[in-house]
Amino acid sequence: MKLTGNVLEIRDLVKDFPSVRAVNNVSFDIKRNTVHCLVGENGAGKSTLIKILTGAYARSSGKILLNGEEYSPHSPKNAKEKGISTLFQELNVVDQLTVAENLTLGMEDTTFGFLRKTDKINKMVSVMNSLEPSISPRQLVSTLSVAKKQIVEIAKAVATESDIIIMDEPTAAISESEIARLFKIVKGLREKNVTVIYISHRLDEIFELGDYVTVMRDGKHIDTKPVSEIQDRSELIRMMIGKTVFEVYTPKKDRSQETILQVRNLSNHKLNGISFEVKKGEIVGFYGLVGAGKTELARAIYGADDYEGEILFKGEKLHPSPHKVIEAGIALVPEERRSQGLFTILTIRGNVPVMNMGKISRNGFINSSQERKVTLEYIEKLRIATSSTEKEVIKLSGGNQQKVVFSKCLFADADLLMLDEPTRGIDVGAKSEIYGIIRRLSEEGKSILIFSSELPEIMNICDSIYLLYDGNLKAALQNGYDIDSEKIIHIVTGGE
Amino acid sequence: MSVETKQARKITVGGRMSNESFLTLFMIGVLVVLFGIACAIVPNFYLPQNMLNLITNNWYIIILGIGVTFLLITGNFDMSVGGVIALTGVLSVYFCQGANVSRNVLANGLGLPYGLALGLALLCAMGIGAINAFFIARLKVPSIIVTLGTMMLARGIAQVITRGAQRNTSLPDVFGVVGNIAIQGTSIKFSVVIMVLLVVAAFIFERMTVPGRRTYLIGANAEAARLSGITVGKHITFLYLTSALLAGITGILLASEFKAGVSSRAMGYEFDALVVALLGGVSIAGGFGSVLGMFVGAVILSVVTTSATGLLLSPDWQFTLKGIVTFIAILAQRFALDRRKG
Amino acid sequence: MNVKGAKEESIQTQLERSRAVRANIKKLYIYFVLALIVIIFSVAKLGQVEMFGRGHFLSPDSIINLLRTAVPILTLSGAFTLLMISGYIDLSVGSAMSLSAVVFALMILNGFPFLPALVITLILGIAMGALNGLLVMKLRITPVIATLVTLSLFKGIALLIVPDGLSAIKGSAEKVMPPWINDYARKNVLLGMPWAFFVALAVIAILVIVQRKTILGKYAAAMGGNRTAAELSGINVVKMGWLLYIIVGFFAVLAGVARASYMSLGDPLSGDGMELDNIIAVLLGGTAFSGGEGSVAKTIIGALIIMCVTTGLMTVIPAYWQTVAKGSVLLFAVVLNHLLIREKVKA
Repeated sequence: MKLTGNVLEIRDLVKDFPSVRAVNNVSFDIKRNTVHCLVGENGAGKSTLIKILTGAYARSSGKILLNGEEYSPHSPKNAKEKGISTLFQELNVVDQLTVAENLTLGMEDTTFGFLRKTDKINKMVSVMNSLEPSISPRQLVSTLSVAKKQIVEIAKAVATESDIIIMDEPTAAISESEIARLFKIVKGLREKNVTVIYISHRLDEIFELGDYVTVMRDGKHIDTKPVSEIQDRSELIRMMIGKTVFEVYTPKKDRSQETILQVRNLSNHKLNGISFEVKKGEIVGFYGLVGAGKTELARAIYGADDYEGEILFKGEKLHPSPHKVIEAGIALVPEERRSQGLFTILTIRGNVPVMNMGKISRNGFINSSQERKVTLEYIEKLRIATSSTEKEVIKLSGGNQQKVVFSKCLFADADLLMLDEPTRGIDVGAKSEIYGIIRRLSEEGKSILIFSSELPEIMNICDSIYLLYDGNLKAALQNGYDIDSEKIIHIVTGGE
Repeated sequence: MSVETKQARKITVGGRMSNESFLTLFMIGVLVVLFGIACAIVPNFYLPQNMLNLITNNWYIIILGIGVTFLLITGNFDMSVGGVIALTGVLSVYFCQGANVSRNVLANGLGLPYGLALGLALLCAMGIGAINAFFIARLKVPSIIVTLGTMMLARGIAQVITRGAQRNTSLPDVFGVVGNIAIQGTSIKFSVVIMVLLVVAAFIFERMTVPGRRTYLIGANAEAARLSGITVGKHITFLYLTSALLAGITGILLASEFKAGVSSRAMGYEFDALVVALLGGVSIAGGFGSVLGMFVGAVILSVVTTSATGLLLSPDWQFTLKGIVTFIAILAQRFALDRRKG
Repeated sequence: MNVKGAKEESIQTQLERSRAVRANIKKLYIYFVLALIVIIFSVAKLGQVEMFGRGHFLSPDSIINLLRTAVPILTLSGAFTLLMISGYIDLSVGSAMSLSAVVFALMILNGFPFLPALVITLILGIAMGALNGLLVMKLRITPVIATLVTLSLFKGIALLIVPDGLSAIKGSAEKVMPPWINDYARKNVLLGMPWAFFVALAVIAILVIVQRKTILGKYAAAMGGNRTAAELSGINVVKMGWLLYIIVGFFAVLAGVARASYMSLGDPLSGDGMELDNIIAVLLGGTAFSGGEGSVAKTIIGALIIMCVTTGLMTVIPAYWQTVAKGSVLLFAVVLNHLLIREKVKA
């Protein structure tokens, strides 16, 4: 029996963090048995909203009604019990078990502990079969491709009668034919009394799959419309970026002609034949959305991941190891500052000199006063908000933590800095400080590579902009007064 | 920035002590308390000779503890050290035993010069360390398994060379010197002096050198360390070689002291080394701990075991006491740190 | 897109086929290793003894002896495997075994009948396992360190129970150890094998079934494979882990009782090294140390391999070669396990 009405109603939802209001009085409805898309740029508030729905975050205020009843999950497990399942990019299947075992995990029928084959299992297997018959229930999940693992998760959610399945960028890691199959399944879910909340940056998917779309921007709800009422991509893009006034970019006066970095035909599991050049003192931006390959590119150049192809830095071949790359004069501010960029249990002083210990030591012995001096220097230079060099980094705010990472990399005396999402999760004040630092470095002759999914950031300071989509370099632009932000979004969302 | 007035911000450099120092002080406090209790209830505890013995009794555990502490900081175990002591001791004897002295196989060795014998024995010790490093740093096998295996390997080789017993004949006179000579007029042995020197060197290494600092970085966040340019595999290899070398030195000193290479020497020493490191606040969770703390831990262990003997408890109490003391220490340290973090 | 799609499909099926081949190797290698070991020891002394004759590796006496000595590890390694599958380890099993041997022998020496003594000892085993579970699952102390602590504790208690001057709980002129203590682990019941052996077989059968067909086995694999997914599915990981530690304690005690019965005494050092033997068996059996997969049946084969090596070596080389042999076997098992797991990851 097909039910109608709203499966989810969100009213005046607010989520505050210490330095930012991530979700700002958002209200909209999701109709039952539809595919409801959620779009918006990074920082728009989508992921925070989803985290509230899945019980990972608690809301600050506002109401959510699921099937007409108050919905306040206190944990992801709780959310699942209440009827909202989520497909994350980190798959929640147990590789070492079979498909059938994964489907029934946590819901087995037993007699004295013995697993019984009951109708419940058959029902689940038939749900699985109706979605994708080529998956055998007796297969080990480890033998399945990522796309098929996703389908297993979907089957489990459907079979456990979830009202809503949230899919977060599900197509980021699967091939085109697999995408087609996924779409067929998603569309079919509407007949099974399941509503899908579909998050994706690939606007074509919205048009192909979606019944409704909600656009968010800067934490606010912009609009919710039936997809059929949207004329074309441009309208959607305009809703996404609105009247954002990009700080006017000032082209540089003298541009060096000296090439410092040459990347030729860089390829690996994610990247396809990327080639480009960087001049001395240039600020180059790599813009793309989730899954475009930005981090993979940064890590490949840095030597943190394997690749095929050639990279020349200052005319010499770059060896694929972070140690050698740093020695050659390149430093990376990694994407995840807490797990990759910082030693969180150590102090600021413990973090800053790490990439260039030679400068604060002699014959292997650390000069403590030099160490303190350097730490102090960077605290002042970058205006890190702390009262002591001995503050544990974990106690700093996101912005200040990022400044510590910057200090680390600056201290490495690199000639080329790679910044992966340098201002993610950082408040506006710290952001502009960081932009100032970047501009200053460029003036000093350093080259900067910025990998970011925030368009204003890219437009603000980059001299050249490269657009990435699905591991490919799609376009190269010179920044200037007449840059067309709509065209940019068009390309990074899959357009040509 | 040039236009704004720069606020005169007072930034303290240094100041609040690190968590490590806090914990070391905490354990020193514990030591003082235990010491007080011991003085009260154990007859004759407070004798100068006893005091000295507290530190000198355990000299071999402390040397081992140095290597174990650094590895523990990076999140790795080294349970092979006891076996390496036995192996090095036996080899040091075997290599310099007279070559064709007797019909008894155990009385014949390779007849090498003393210095060369020692050098080779140490090299073999480091060979065990290299095997550890290969499996752990290269193949990424869990260190507890590997080092238990190399422990058996090392001790096993010692057993083969001594046919399960020991070698102690036809040794050059100089053999017994290092293990037995003492500072003139005192009972402080050369081994103890070595121990003190090594502890001081280790402390300097940990606090003031670049590789020492790297050890903590790797323990705190191995991935960030790698992305910061540290060659983690090479460093771990270095630590395992050092640990083996320290065990080797200890083995030579002990063999010299008893003028014998005994295949059953140092049974359980690896466990004691781990215990004193844990008592000293070293955390397996990584990135945390100090050689100084380990030293305090060793003294604590000494107080406990000496008190037990003084109270006429049989030596069998050791195991139970060690287990209980370690457990309490782990909990107490966790409690103290949680309170500190507030 | 059609052509590309077709190409993707065939690469997929090729991959899946090669995965199947590698899976088969994974299934069968261990039988080859066992066969190899048996063959080696069978031919080793062919110059001196007759095939299947006295003193030969495969003589009836020798086989019976081997199996009787193997009873403790056969009893314990199944449960040990289950714990490792869930991603946890227990290094205290050897000491738990020793302690239970001591306690059991003490009771028998003091007039307890077999069954009550057994039951009390088993309760002790449950307590020991519960202690390990408390330290690891509740207090969240690293399993290696927590079980090394309990190793020390159990060993200490076992040593303390044995009166000073004696090396074990055994009979003496004043107090005789009832001779029937031997019955359980030595007396011929069927085909020359004692009760303890059949108990061990039953235990193996039970644990194989538990691992493959019950919810305990499945949840252990889920926990070890992907703890987050397990928790999200509603599995109480803490409770499961605790239960597994208790089960290991229970069977460690059963092994200890068998050992005490076999030796007619309670030796506080009798279990030393048992944890290493178990680890070797588990490694040979292809269980991953990170958990998620493993096989009780394969571990048992691994246990047989280590027993063959241990007893076989004794006939070929002097006793003082045992330790280095075991160490080498462990490292060999590590390499083997590493290669197997690497194959898995590649596939």
